[in-house]
Amino acid sequence: MATVARPVEQMPRPNIPSANIQLPAVRSYQQVNDEIIATLTPTGAWFIGLGIAVTCLLIGIGSWIYQIYMGLGVAGYNPPVMWGVYIITFVFWVGIGHAGTLISAILYLFRAGFRTTIYRCAEAMTVFAVMTAGLFPILHLGRPWKFFWLIPYPHWRLIWPNFKSPLVWDVFAILTYLTVSTTFLYVGLVPDIAALRDRETNPIRKRIYSVLSLGWRNSDREWRHFTRAYLFLAAFSTPLVLSVHSVVSFDFAMALVPGWHATIFPPYFVAGAIFSGIGMVFTIIIPLRRWFGLRHYVTINHLDAAAKLCLFTSLVVGLAYLTEFWVAWYSGNKVEQQYFMNRVFGQWWWAAWIMLTCNMFLPLTLFSQKMRRNTTWLFILSLFINLGMWFERFVIVVPSLSHEYEPWQWTSYAPTWVDWSILLGSFGWFSMWFLLFIKQFPVIAIAEVKEIVPPRLRTHAATTEIDVSGQHVDYAPETPGEHE
Amino acid sequence: MRGVLGVFRELDSAVDAIAALRHAKAGSITVYSPTPRHEFEHALAHGPSVVRRFTLIGGLLGVTFGYWIAIWVSEYWPLVVGGKPIPSWVPYTIIGFEVMVLVGALSTVFGMFAVARVPRLMMTVGYDPRFSDGDYGIWVECPPDREAKVTQVLQENGAVEVRRER
Repeated sequence: MATVARPVEQMPRPNIPSANIQLPAVRSYQQVNDEIIATLTPTGAWFIGLGIAVTCLLIGIGSWIYQIYMGLGVAGYNPPVMWGVYIITFVFWVGIGHAGTLISAILYLFRAGFRTTIYRCAEAMTVFAVMTAGLFPILHLGRPWKFFWLIPYPHWRLIWPNFKSPLVWDVFAILTYLTVSTTFLYVGLVPDIAALRDRETNPIRKRIYSVLSLGWRNSDREWRHFTRAYLFLAAFSTPLVLSVHSVVSFDFAMALVPGWHATIFPPYFVAGAIFSGIGMVFTIIIPLRRWFGLRHYVTINHLDAAAKLCLFTSLVVGLAYLTEFWVAWYSGNKVEQQYFMNRVFGQWWWAAWIMLTCNMFLPLTLFSQKMRRNTTWLFILSLFINLGMWFERFVIVVPSLSHEYEPWQWTSYAPTWVDWSILLGSFGWFSMWFLLFIKQFPVIAIAEVKEIVPPRLRTHAATTEIDVSGQHVDYAPETPGEHE
Repeated sequence: MRGVLGVFRELDSAVDAIAALRHAKAGSITVYSPTPRHEFEHALAHGPSVVRRFTLIGGLLGVTFGYWIAIWVSEYWPLVVGGKPIPSWVPYTIIGFEVMVLVGALSTVFGMFAVARVPRLMMTVGYDPRFSDGDYGIWVECPPDREAKVTQVLQENGAVEVRRER
C-alpha cells in the first residue's frame, strides 16, 4: 500500500502507457482532501436521485407485502418453472458484487495502479449489491420469516441444516462474502473518515466521524499494522470472490437438469460475475466522475485499463457460451442438444440473442482504443452489459426448467407485475444505499490517492510524478490521454 | 505523557529529522503521515507487523470449526444414502473454506485493532489535524531535560512548527 520516493536518475521509465496511474492534475495532498471532501456536499440532483430510488424501493416493498398476503402464486411461477425472476436477480446482484472485490483485492495484490481511484466506488457497490442479492432468496420463500432455519444454530427441535445441500453452501458463502466485503470496505475507510473528522466543523457530524474513525491518528504504528492487515484481507478476499460465485453456480450444476449439469459452470459464473460487475462499475463511475468533477482523478487511462479487463472477461464469457454448445453436441445427449436448440432457435431465442449480442458481440468494440477511450460509448455499453447479464441468468434459469426431459412437462414462463415491481425495488434499494454512501463518505480513497501524488520534498519538489511501478520520474504534463 | 511535537511540510525533512533523533537517542518517536510511506518504515526500522499471527490462528480455528460443525451435524443425524460414508469431506470443504475466510479475516482486523491500539477513545497529546491533510508530524516523548535538545533537532531539520505538549 505504501510507496517510496527515490531519486529520479535511477529509474528508467517503463513503457506501459495504458497502465499509467499518474494524476498530473493533482499536485498536493491538500488538493486531494479539498477536492474529494467537497463532493460530500448534497446537491439538488442528488436529492432528486435519492427520491427516485426511495420511490422504486417503496414500489418493491408494496409488491412484496402483496405477495406475502396473496402467496407466491402471484409471482408468475408456472410448474415446473419454480425458479424465476427472484433467483435470476439474486444471481445477477451477487455477480455485480464481484467486480468490486476484483478491483479492490485482486488488482491490489497484482499492483494494478489503475484501481486506486475506482476501487472505493467498486467496493461500496459490492457491499450494497450483496445486500440486495441476499434479499432475493428470502423473497423467494413462501414463509420468508423462517429464513433463519438455514443457519446452523442449536434449538429445541434438534434439527440441523443439511451441509451437503448447495443451498446451505450458499448461506455460508453469501454471509461470509457480505461480512468480509463490509469489513474490507470499512477498514479502508477508517483513515479517510479520520480526515473527514479533522476537517468537520459541525459538532454532531464531527462526533459521528470521531466514533467511526475509531480515534485513528495516522501514526506509524497504525499504518504499519493497517497495511499488513489490508494485505491479508485482500489475500482472503481473492479466493473468497472466486468461491462465492462457484458456490452460486453449484445451485445449478448439482442438479440433473439439462443445461445446468455442467462442470464449466464455476469458471463460467465467476467470469460472468466479474464481467457484469465491471459493467456496473462503468455505469456508476462514468456519470459520477463527471458530476463530481473528478475526471482528473478517474482519468481516461484508468477507464481504458478497466475497459481492457471488461473485454477480457467478455471473451471468457463468450468462450463459455460457445463451449456449452460444443459440450451439448459432443455429449451425444439428445435432451441436452434439444435444450440448446430450443434456447437459441426455439422458444427462448429472443432472450438468448439479447444475451449473446450484449455480452459477446458488443464488447468486441473494445478492441478499438478509440472506443475504449470514448466515455459515452463505455456508458452505453455498460447498460447493454447490465441488460445482457440479467438475461444471461434468465437464459440459464428459465429455459432449462421449462424444457426438461419429458415433453408433456414443457411449458412457458412470464414474469408478472409483482416480479417486475420487486426487480425495480431492488434497483431502488441498491441505489438508495449507494447514494447515501457517496454523500457521507469519500467516493475516492483519499489516503490511497495520496500515495500516487508526489510528496512535497526539499529536493525534486513538484518536478516528479509516480509511474506505474510506484517510482518517481520526471513530470510529463503532455502525457497522452490525459485529456478526453 | 509529555514531549515535543514537530510539524513538517516535506517528506525528506521529516525522514532526516527521524534519523537525527534516533542518533541523538532523544526518546520514543511517533510519526504521523497522511498516507503510509516506506521512507518512515525504513527510518524507524520497526520489525514486521505481528498481524500475520492473528490471521494464521484465526484461519486455522475457522477451518477447524467449519469442518467440525459439518461432520458433527452429519454424525448427529446419521442418514445413510447409497451406502456412502456419513461425513463427506468434499462438500464440507466448502464450509471449511468459507468459515476459514470469515474467522481469518475478522481475526486479522481485530488483531490489527489490538496491536495498533485502536479504537482510541481520546486523541491524547501529540496529534494535530494537519496530519490527515498534508503535513507530517513527529512526536517525541521525552523527559523535560531533553526537550530543548529535541526542539533543536526538529528545527534544524526543517520543522515549520515545534511545540511542547503534555
